[in-house]
Amino acid sequence: MKYLLVAALFLGAVALAQAPDANTLVIAQSRSTSTLDPAAISDAATFNITRGLVFASLVDIDADGKVTPSLAESYSVSETGTEVSFKLREGLQCHDGEPLTAEDVVYTIKRAADPANAFTGNIVNFVFPNIGYVDARVDSELELTVVMSRYNPAAVAFMADILVHCKDAYEKMSLDQAANNPIGSGPYRVVEYVRGDRVVLEKVADYPLEKGQGGWQRLVWRTIPEASTQAAELIAGNVDIVAGVVSDHVAAINNSGTATVKPVMGTRRISIWFSFNEKMAQSSPGAAAIQSVDVRRAIQYAIDVPSICANLLGVECKRMTTLVNPPNDNPALEPYPYDPALAEKMLDDAGYPRGADGVRFTLNLQTPNGLFANDVNLALTVAQYLEDVGIPTAVEVMETASVFTPLLQSHEAGPLFINSIGGGTWSPIRDMGLYASFKANNNYNDWNNPEWFELYEKMLAERDPEARQAIVNDMLVIFYNDPPWILLYFLPSFYGVSDRIDWTPRRDDRIDPFTVHLVVN
Amino acid sequence: MLAYITKRLSQSLIVILGVTLITFLALHLGGDPTYLFIGEMASEEAIAATRAKLGFDRPLYEQYLSFLGGLARGDFGNSLTYREPALGVVLGQFPATLELTVFAMLFATVLAIPFGVFAALKRGTTVDGGIMIFAMIGQSMPSFWLGIMLILFVGLGLRWLPISGHVAVIQPFLAGDLATALKNVPSAVKYLLMPSVTIALFSLSRNARLIRSSMLEVLSQDYVRTARAKGLAVPAVVVRHALRNAWLPVVTMFGLEFGFLLSGVVVVETIFSWPGVGRLVFNAINQRDIPLVQTAVVIFALVFVLLNLIVDLFYARLDPRVRLG
Repeated sequence: MKYLLVAALFLGAVALAQAPDANTLVIAQSRSTSTLDPAAISDAATFNITRGLVFASLVDIDADGKVTPSLAESYSVSETGTEVSFKLREGLQCHDGEPLTAEDVVYTIKRAADPANAFTGNIVNFVFPNIGYVDARVDSELELTVVMSRYNPAAVAFMADILVHCKDAYEKMSLDQAANNPIGSGPYRVVEYVRGDRVVLEKVADYPLEKGQGGWQRLVWRTIPEASTQAAELIAGNVDIVAGVVSDHVAAINNSGTATVKPVMGTRRISIWFSFNEKMAQSSPGAAAIQSVDVRRAIQYAIDVPSICANLLGVECKRMTTLVNPPNDNPALEPYPYDPALAEKMLDDAGYPRGADGVRFTLNLQTPNGLFANDVNLALTVAQYLEDVGIPTAVEVMETASVFTPLLQSHEAGPLFINSIGGGTWSPIRDMGLYASFKANNNYNDWNNPEWFELYEKMLAERDPEARQAIVNDMLVIFYNDPPWILLYFLPSFYGVSDRIDWTPRRDDRIDPFTVHLVVN
Repeated sequence: MLAYITKRLSQSLIVILGVTLITFLALHLGGDPTYLFIGEMASEEAIAATRAKLGFDRPLYEQYLSFLGGLARGDFGNSLTYREPALGVVLGQFPATLELTVFAMLFATVLAIPFGVFAALKRGTTVDGGIMIFAMIGQSMPSFWLGIMLILFVGLGLRWLPISGHVAVIQPFLAGDLATALKNVPSAVKYLLMPSVTIALFSLSRNARLIRSSMLEVLSQDYVRTARAKGLAVPAVVVRHALRNAWLPVVTMFGLEFGFLLSGVVVVETIFSWPGVGRLVFNAINQRDIPLVQTAVVIFALVFVLLNLIVDLFYARLDPRVRLG
């Protein structure tokens, strides 16, 4: 009787989460949404929900990394190269019905830059420093200009991260209110926001840009932190796209008959950096040895990167040749092949023969723990490859936020350390910015190649795209020949995709719902 | 009584102060949190500016005193992640956690009583053995594993219950929308079942064992024998005499239990995508959102302290031998 009661209770409770209808797309991300204040957003999960959907930008970036028009129909760069002027389209408006003009875009930029607001979002910490933001001004009702301290060929692409909103609505709101009440300029408006659970977007009727013509009526962005739960929801048909499927669940999803896992080589660069920090170089024989370019080149041949990808990540991969993501890299460069015999010979020739115990020198490899997929296993595997050529390497596993990142930021990590840094497809400058100068904060290993830095300045100043790419290619040859990293791979991302939709994931972690279509049976 | 409550509350203040100090130090000694709030491609100037904006360039004692000063004024500071007053953020997520914890507590206590009493009355029989084996298994299963198993079998395999998510009842109720709150109850219960069972199973098992042993002790007492000798029916003896006394240790556990369940919600909220305060704090710790963590810790400490106080007062009522002082 008792069992019957329990069964009845369960059966009575049968009311499953409804599978999404034909007009609704449900996307799950593991990270919770942060603030919806456009000037404060800095995480990829919230950008996915807001950029190009709730908030439009002056320009957009497509899956191929091309800058495309959005709110701005055109732009021009001044003679001096320090001013970019945008011309807005006519008939734009924000979700509250307020017309969107140049004044609103300038307000958006100035609001973010205002120190009184103390924003720490992407626009303040990424866009402004990279373009050398100075000021913004209204030229006419639909024209505005952004003033920069110097010419930057990628400035317009950087500005794709500026989420435009209207002045009147935001002037009336306190920062607290703005964090939860987005009044956007994009093709979707927020109709429900439950922090940590979901953001529901609904299509704006009669949106004037092309994006208003197609797309889903309703987008539901769910936060599902646990990978097993994500997989279960996907298999059950309650979710259409899951970002960040872990390798343990790939087989279950592929065998489910309801969804498939699609891998894509991402833009995040996974590499092992050699430290050139002077103090570090004196800390051990190994740290001194890697100052030699011959040793660093020899080590490249000791690592079998395609095998690491196949065995650790479960995907085929091509080894990276430089720090720049394809298609902006130098196509003439071939990845270093796996050739341990050549590595041994080069190490001998460099003056580091094996000793009586078979050891040339020892190294220490630091790795964050859980910063990216399989980081610790990657470190252990590379250490084994190094040991095979006579370089026993101790792996030091570090807590990411409190130990590894501070070491990285203070340039004290090393002598070898794994690093994972996001990149882009829209400009080589995005990726090469790591080594903008010897003093650059992101030059975490103090790599100092004067020729590179000289060309970097030349490259930035070059206004002709073809001539600029030629300089980029020369720089990448320098990077390849004087490697500051053990070159590894671009981190693959795994997306779980429901069989009811047709979608190809992009490399840059962005999920653009306009490229997702219902499969017509 | 009033003097007792005042004394207990002032003692609690010291506890809460200690808790804030430990939390503050633990979060700060883990390195500079500035890096968690800026993009990885940020320049040195941007990092320095952010550090100054967030106030992390000030000496530690100054930051702590400023936090305490704010606390005295009821200002817990702004969450660094959400850019809103931290108190509002925590209280906004609290109802979801409360729904889960209260539901779990109901499971853990309401079911534990018949299990425990029945096992005690049938001591040494197969029924007793069965219940005790169930309790042992219940106490041994990690909630993380149990949650995933429930999702796989009940949610995905049998499709009886929704896999993850949350339907709010308390939030609309607090917002004065009674109609929505009531309308949401049936579906909210379906979403609540798996996560609350996951949290409750350990406590349910422990309470059942506790009630069983407590009952066994009480059943052997003279007054129970006397009651039975006087011809009182077994159910009356059990309910009126034995259970009332056997219940005392469980009441003592009650306050601690709530705290235990609250701490358990972090894992369960993550597995079932439950938008509660446990997960919020977990994320805040990872993000080193110091004001948010501190606020949540103070709120948790307050709830814990108040519940224990209530339990003690209630205990004195149940057992006149207990004196408050």
